[in-house]
Amino acid sequence: MPQFTDEEIKAKVREGYVVESPEEMTDGYRKALVVQLTVQADTELMSAPAYWMAARHAPSANTQVSAHAIIQDELAHANIAYRLLEDLGESKEHLVYGRQPHEFKHPYGFDQPLENWAELVVANGFFDRAGITLLSDVYQNTSYGPLKRALVKVDMEETFHLRHGEVWMRRLAKAGGEARDMVQRAVDWMFPMTIEWFGLPDDLKRHSGQLEYRLKGLTNDELRQVWMQSTVPLCAQLGLEVPAHWDDEKQEFVLDYPFPCRYDAGVKHWLFQEGQITWDEVFERWKARGPMNEAYVESIQRSRGTVERWLDSRAAA
Amino acid sequence: MREFVYEVFARKDRGEPLTHIGYVDALDDETARVYAWKTYDEQNWFEMCVVRRSAIVPVNRTDGPFAANRRGTP
Repeated sequence: MPQFTDEEIKAKVREGYVVESPEEMTDGYRKALVVQLTVQADTELMSAPAYWMAARHAPSANTQVSAHAIIQDELAHANIAYRLLEDLGESKEHLVYGRQPHEFKHPYGFDQPLENWAELVVANGFFDRAGITLLSDVYQNTSYGPLKRALVKVDMEETFHLRHGEVWMRRLAKAGGEARDMVQRAVDWMFPMTIEWFGLPDDLKRHSGQLEYRLKGLTNDELRQVWMQSTVPLCAQLGLEVPAHWDDEKQEFVLDYPFPCRYDAGVKHWLFQEGQITWDEVFERWKARGPMNEAYVESIQRSRGTVERWLDSRAAA
Repeated sequence: MREFVYEVFARKDRGEPLTHIGYVDALDDETARVYAWKTYDEQNWFEMCVVRRSAIVPVNRTDGPFAANRRGTP
């Protein structure tokens, strides 16, 4: 079994070497992979209670079924990612049931309440599109074999979530009136929320282990552009306004608002008029977590101890 | 709750190879069957089976997830 130094493993994966087992990893590689998988697993996990609480607003039996099918997929994806973490020596038990709500690593977007059907379908259209953008890049570029194989299923299902979101965004937007207004209101807070999701801009990000170990292929700004390449034209086609446009000169999408900026979570409103803030302020908001963080984590963890006590007392008897 | 790792194998159709598609943690064979079928439902599988990881005997590798099951030397 090969033993590499950090520099050697970075050079090997650049040439296409596929890492298959934890024994081949350097400490740096393992740590970068653990961070990446934890964010991935926590994001899938926390999308489940967010979508679950929103699924009450489904307008028919069929839409109830599709909303819950999406929730089931997300839980399975989380389970798969935590299982991969166990092979790296992490404890799924601790990660899912042993952490405080603020210790989870999912994006701030999944700390927000989804309060009507329009918000749920825009979440499918925007957040799941962000998920596909990030995970297809990982699928195409990752140097870790077990993760690449696990993502075949995940990518297939996320595509269904996205289609669900886009079909319903189209249906509501075309209906006009109140339906269209509800979608526009959801887009107004969720578009900047997803833009922020991709993280620090490249000119501020000095160094990325995930790129050097080839755990992903594109930078944060490149991923943000990929997301906008699908999302901005879709919204234009549906007659929905978004604060971004294509710039012919720069040959890229540019934002029409100060980025990053403040967010009032209580009223779901971005404070564009207050101007640009620093990323330190953004990190502070993320660290403080959003309004639904505790409720979502509680809904995942609540019954674990009780059922375990029942089973243990039966085993002891 | 003591769970075991089960490897999941499936075949899309007659004539297709049985392929490793993932894993589940489960209390026993019966729950592993349920979890595997419910988790890996992205295809209408022709055949699916689960194998407890500890039952897989590696032939040529000394590293990776099955290394612990290796007895003696080749």
